[in-house]
Amino acid sequence: MEKLSADVLVIGGGATGAGVAWDAALRGLDVVLVERGDLATGTSGRFHGLLHSGGRYAVKDPSAAHECARENGVVRHVAADCVEDTGGLFVATPFDDPAYADRFAAGCRKTGVPCEEIEPARALREEPRLNPGISRAFRVPDGSIEVWKLVWALARGAQDRGARVLPYHEVVAVHRGGDQVHGARVRNARTGQELDVEAAVTVSASGAWAGQIAAMAGIEGVHVKPGRGIMIAMSHRLVNTVINRCQLPTDGDIIVPIETVCVIGTTDVGTDDPDDHTIIQAEVDAMLEDGERLVPGFKQARALRVWTGVRPLFEDRKENGATDTRDVTRAHALLDHRERDGVTGFFTITGGKLTTYRLMAEETVDAVCLQLGDARPCTTSAEPLAGSEDGEYHRVGDRLGRREQRLLDDQLICECELIPRKRIEETIRWRGTTDLDDLRRLLRLGMGPCQGGFCIYRVAGILHGLDGIDTPDANAGLIDYVRERWKGVWPVLYGDQLRQARLDEWIYQGVLDVEHLQ
Amino acid sequence: MTSSLHYDAVVVGVGVAGLTAAIRLAEGGARVCVLAKGVGSTHLAPGTVDVLGYRPERVEHPAAALPEFVGAHPDHPYALIGPDAIAPALDRFAAHIERGPQPGYRYTGGLDRNHLLPTAVGAIRPSALVPETMAAGDARSSVPVCVVGMRVLRDFHASLCAGNIRRAGIPARAVEVEIDVGRVEANSLGLARRFDDESFRAAFVGRLALLLRPGERVALPAVLGLRDPHGAWSDLQRRLGRAVFEVPTLPPSAPGMRVYNALVAALRAAGGRLVLGAEVLDVEREGDRVTGVRAHTSGHDTIYHAGWIVLATGGFASGGIELGSDWAASETILGLSLQGMPRPGEARFTADYFGHQPMAGVGVAVDSSLRARETENVYVAGAALPGAVPWREGSGQGIALATGHFAAQAVLEREGAAATA
Repeated sequence: MEKLSADVLVIGGGATGAGVAWDAALRGLDVVLVERGDLATGTSGRFHGLLHSGGRYAVKDPSAAHECARENGVVRHVAADCVEDTGGLFVATPFDDPAYADRFAAGCRKTGVPCEEIEPARALREEPRLNPGISRAFRVPDGSIEVWKLVWALARGAQDRGARVLPYHEVVAVHRGGDQVHGARVRNARTGQELDVEAAVTVSASGAWAGQIAAMAGIEGVHVKPGRGIMIAMSHRLVNTVINRCQLPTDGDIIVPIETVCVIGTTDVGTDDPDDHTIIQAEVDAMLEDGERLVPGFKQARALRVWTGVRPLFEDRKENGATDTRDVTRAHALLDHRERDGVTGFFTITGGKLTTYRLMAEETVDAVCLQLGDARPCTTSAEPLAGSEDGEYHRVGDRLGRREQRLLDDQLICECELIPRKRIEETIRWRGTTDLDDLRRLLRLGMGPCQGGFCIYRVAGILHGLDGIDTPDANAGLIDYVRERWKGVWPVLYGDQLRQARLDEWIYQGVLDVEHLQ
Repeated sequence: MTSSLHYDAVVVGVGVAGLTAAIRLAEGGARVCVLAKGVGSTHLAPGTVDVLGYRPERVEHPAAALPEFVGAHPDHPYALIGPDAIAPALDRFAAHIERGPQPGYRYTGGLDRNHLLPTAVGAIRPSALVPETMAAGDARSSVPVCVVGMRVLRDFHASLCAGNIRRAGIPARAVEVEIDVGRVEANSLGLARRFDDESFRAAFVGRLALLLRPGERVALPAVLGLRDPHGAWSDLQRRLGRAVFEVPTLPPSAPGMRVYNALVAALRAAGGRLVLGAEVLDVEREGDRVTGVRAHTSGHDTIYHAGWIVLATGGFASGGIELGSDWAASETILGLSLQGMPRPGEARFTADYFGHQPMAGVGVAVDSSLRARETENVYVAGAALPGAVPWREGSGQGIALATGHFAAQAVLEREGAAATA
């Protein structure tokens, strides 16, 4: 069996795991990162894209608010290219408790969340589709963050410093000898081949799956209760600012403009299985109604797709556990299993927010270094990621701007997301992937209004023409793509989006007849 | 200001169903006006006439399969009009194409046997009646295929097409021809216009001929001309000395536009009128008769009075039927009642893309003469009818032609009866 050895094995390729890999690699540690699917396909790839100002927790969870407020500034600096500086508003709608607004303002002051009250009329001038009945409005530095760009920038940065990043490698066993964890066995999901990774320290950054990984290491009581939430992407930006209802966080109270769409979220339903992606129609219908409260006419816009993500809500169920659950349920939890369970070489980092991924990574690698007896300082708050060196934020018009400059140089393969052919071919090369879904995440391919109606055939054809895939794989890729897309489309099919879906059905089932490929 | 015009019949919708109904009405002596918001499904469809392709297994002989099919699907449009009503509509369609403005361009085939033609991914799709320019692609032939791609056309990928033709048991390979159209990308429409030009074809053949092997037939994306497709196709066959066939691909569809052009010409030749850009606003009624259609055209409203209305506005794909965000569906022009809607609380769609979708068969409720149930003089044709899943059955153009023809016949019979009474 093939073997790898490293100082640190990171299990989990979400923002936290990629953040840990980047942090550890920057400190000169030798890192292997494994992820059972593609990077950022768990919780990180299934959220609304909010870079928190901290405002949402200003009243409910002051320590989380404070952390978010601090990390917001850091992430804006080190990952500027992944962040759109949309700004955010908290608005008191006629459906909200009017007394909350003052508590909110006081909470922001206490927790260090920058917050400025503005006239409702001014908020309405800036966001004319907002409910005209708003009575208070507060400006905060919310933003939106392109998560796949972030996670790949972290991973590629780590790779440049020697880390080995292995997507599609699932942990099948955690190696434990006595009171020591010394790595894991992983299986390549595509080839079935297994591989042993030996590491001085293993970090489980597996979020909602942390309990499963801990159990593999023979550690009890790491209980991560997955909280399932749905999000719906609308076909364009109904708002250009993150809009929050000024009330205690609840269902359907936030709209995040991200790239060419805006996303409304979310719900919170306890589930036992982090891989539970059930979409409940009643939740979808309620979410669309919630949209109406913030933006009247919300339901007239096209709903593109709905998806679910699971929050990792950590609860320590170890008897006499060293960790006080009341502190960690809402923020993140770092478990040093030497302290907690007498098992050295193993850490669990879970909970938290995408906004605080860097802080979570810093604390984790600090603890790792301490256990290795080799204190090295963290530099991630000063070191910009590749592409963010100039500190310029991503702007939603950037793709169009680039396209206008090179209008006649290259074919446009995905019109919705303005993706030219050369960019697709380059991405296929550097990523070494032939998977349409990998390309979707990296390029936003097929994520626009037509949901892949035209571009997916084109890209399958391009991949095949580059000898990237043989015919059976191209067929399977196409069919899997249209099937998977449908899973997020059918619960929100109404109005013009149903019309669009019918056109896609005519193309894929009628004109191309992909169902009857042999 | 509202002006007012009088016709015997107004047809709403300019897809195959609407045009077929209008031509039949005009040929039957009625004064007909077709109103349409824009061009319809012709420009999106592959241009083949698919009558019955899957039930759900592949259908080789539609005429033989239809009686059993309508028995099993009593709500299907074919069941309403009877399978015997299909052939005459196909015959008339073929005649209209032959007499059309594209000299020599014709369709081939019929209900006896489906052609089995490769799609742009190389799947083998059954079609009853097809343009002569596609017929040589039939998968029953074992003649090797050379699929020709052009980089400039991002909507056709020769290697994938050839790969799947090979998997269907036919020797096939792909080549790419570099052609200069003065820009990096073109769609099917732009290329089809180029192929109307003889010097362009000569240059194309100059490059392609070197790449071909003896004994191969040549597959090209369906871009072989718009004005004179027969001329373009024949010229390529002659110059290359071998069979050439077109493979339909993503919209816009050149073969579909040829259908549109031919049917509009037939309508005009029969004395019918077409008003494009006419958005229907509302209708005038007397009791259960619709006596006029008010439409907005280029800055003013016109009431089109008529004794008969044919509704050929299509289903959800064309906007003839809409599903609101409150999950209520409606027929958009007359508010006619619908059939096949899932009941409240029942699933509208299901998670399996290729599985049964409850909403798929929604359409306007009609009687066996295709008359909308709650009206005296409104007939319905095409994708607005309930009971079919045309993109899965491979029945779209068959339903459009047959029901368009049938609805017009029904009107003419009643008009005749009224005249003799």
